[in-house]
Amino acid sequence: MTAQNKADFESAKSELAAIAGKSGALVSGVAAADAFDDAPEGYRPVDILPHAKSVFVIGGAQPRAGDWQSPNYQHMEVTSTSDRMQTLALKIARSIEDRFSYYAVCVPPGVDRGQQPFMSISMAADLAGCGSKSLAGPVLHPEYGFMYYAAIITTMPLPADSPLETPACPAPECVQMYAAEGTTPCLSICPIKAGGCLGGRIEDGRFTDRQYDSTRCATRVQNYWVPAFQKVLRATLQEPDADKQKMMLFSSMFSRTLWSMTYSNVSQGQCAECMRVCPVGLEHRTKK
Amino acid sequence: MNASKTESRTQQIKQFALDAGADVVGIADPRAWDEHVPLGHRPYDILPGAQSVVVVGSRGPTAGAWRSPNHRVMEVNGYDFRNDAAIHRVADMIEKDFDHQAIQAPGLPTGGHLPPMSMMLSAVLAGLGTRSLAANIILNPKYGLLYYSACITTFEFEYDGMLEQDVCPHPMCVDSYRRFGKTPCMAACPSDEGGCLDGSIDDDGRIDYSYYDRERCVSRAMNFGINSFQKALAQIVAEQDTERQSTMIYSDFFSRSCSAITHYKESVAQCFECMRVCPIGRAERKLR
Repeated sequence: MTAQNKADFESAKSELAAIAGKSGALVSGVAAADAFDDAPEGYRPVDILPHAKSVFVIGGAQPRAGDWQSPNYQHMEVTSTSDRMQTLALKIARSIEDRFSYYAVCVPPGVDRGQQPFMSISMAADLAGCGSKSLAGPVLHPEYGFMYYAAIITTMPLPADSPLETPACPAPECVQMYAAEGTTPCLSICPIKAGGCLGGRIEDGRFTDRQYDSTRCATRVQNYWVPAFQKVLRATLQEPDADKQKMMLFSSMFSRTLWSMTYSNVSQGQCAECMRVCPVGLEHRTKK
Repeated sequence: MNASKTESRTQQIKQFALDAGADVVGIADPRAWDEHVPLGHRPYDILPGAQSVVVVGSRGPTAGAWRSPNHRVMEVNGYDFRNDAAIHRVADMIEKDFDHQAIQAPGLPTGGHLPPMSMMLSAVLAGLGTRSLAANIILNPKYGLLYYSACITTFEFEYDGMLEQDVCPHPMCVDSYRRFGKTPCMAACPSDEGGCLDGSIDDDGRIDYSYYDRERCVSRAMNFGINSFQKALAQIVAEQDTERQSTMIYSDFFSRSCSAITHYKESVAQCFECMRVCPIGRAERKLR
């Protein structure tokens, strides 16, 4: 790559970052497409876009400080989604193709066959230096904490960023708490040994031996939407009493599950307690 | 209103539509529907006093998505409703700045499988494209496959005429038909070999006859979504063995079908093969 080309790609990266920032992203970064060695074959950038060189990552759209303060926990269930970042990702993909004439494709959100994601957007965010993995699970940005991420794979060889030198998790407060009490805020709010989902230790200021019961977490986080629909459908179909079956079909539980599936009521996640107690990004969740 | 003001407003609304995310925009005379559709399906049946129909078209998949070897990527990223977002902004502007009524034309089926107003016909009458041999998809001369939305308004803009020259068949396809008896789309999905398409081209290089097996196409293009959900649900309800019924409810196939109808992943179509081989708009999909 010539010096001129390098400067051009630096400039392109700045332009894309400016579009992202102007359109609502709080952070953006670039991971090299060949840096996804830890991802299994079939789930790497080149498996989605042949000759991929870069993955442009954006993050933002986290719940607002006011959302976290609402005493009605159902409020956050229906207002917090990754949609804004996904829409922005498509806009950036278009910009890459229209402005720079390189191929670009958004990593689809959600999961595919076998409930596996097309490509780990968390890994992309980590490699692009937009945050780091946490004891609680989500990738955390050192300043903003929890946020939603989206990724665009492109054949444009953008200059890659590096993973964070100092991970966002554990925060210094958590290291101190662990030293004093043997737990952290997230581990204490949802302890795996007491019916919760999270476990792990802190050694030399870094977390290790992380434990996460994803199955248990899913039963708590997804009480409506597809998992709940499947659960309630099974129970309803296997109910022998016709009157009771009818009541189940018209129940509040079944109605809310259908509302959440239609997306008119976006209730896809109902537990954010490990993030509520996290000190990373706390200042952005604290207002007058 | 004088002619120059009408012309000025027409240019203004067209530029606004392009800035709002449309790739193409055209305007049709509501009376042009009279010879094509039955009563109840004309623009002025939907908005009394309609004087213009503004039609926008937006690209669906990015060029990168067309190149992905993972066909599911295209299913999920194939459509982003940008045309709908653009047309809402157009309608807002007409009501706010031009002080005339404006509504989004209803383009989704409301009875049977028929929409109140055809977006395909709207695109043709606004001069944005013509019908093709490939499943009657309206092809734009520059972009090929586009997604269309329309706004019906009582404001009288300047009208665009229909395209004078058919977009389909492309000269390359005429040559192909002369030599092999098939165009690329017909060869990709031949009705006489279990596919969906057939047709012929006359001596003047125009479509002479076209055949499209809609039912067969649906069974292939919509493997997830409402169709697969209904199919799977019928089998689940009819299953007598409760253990097997539970397995079917929690199967990967049913989970993905539920996910597809939740609007979470826009998996609205799973086959693009007739469009993949179409030469129209290929230049727009050819990048670095």
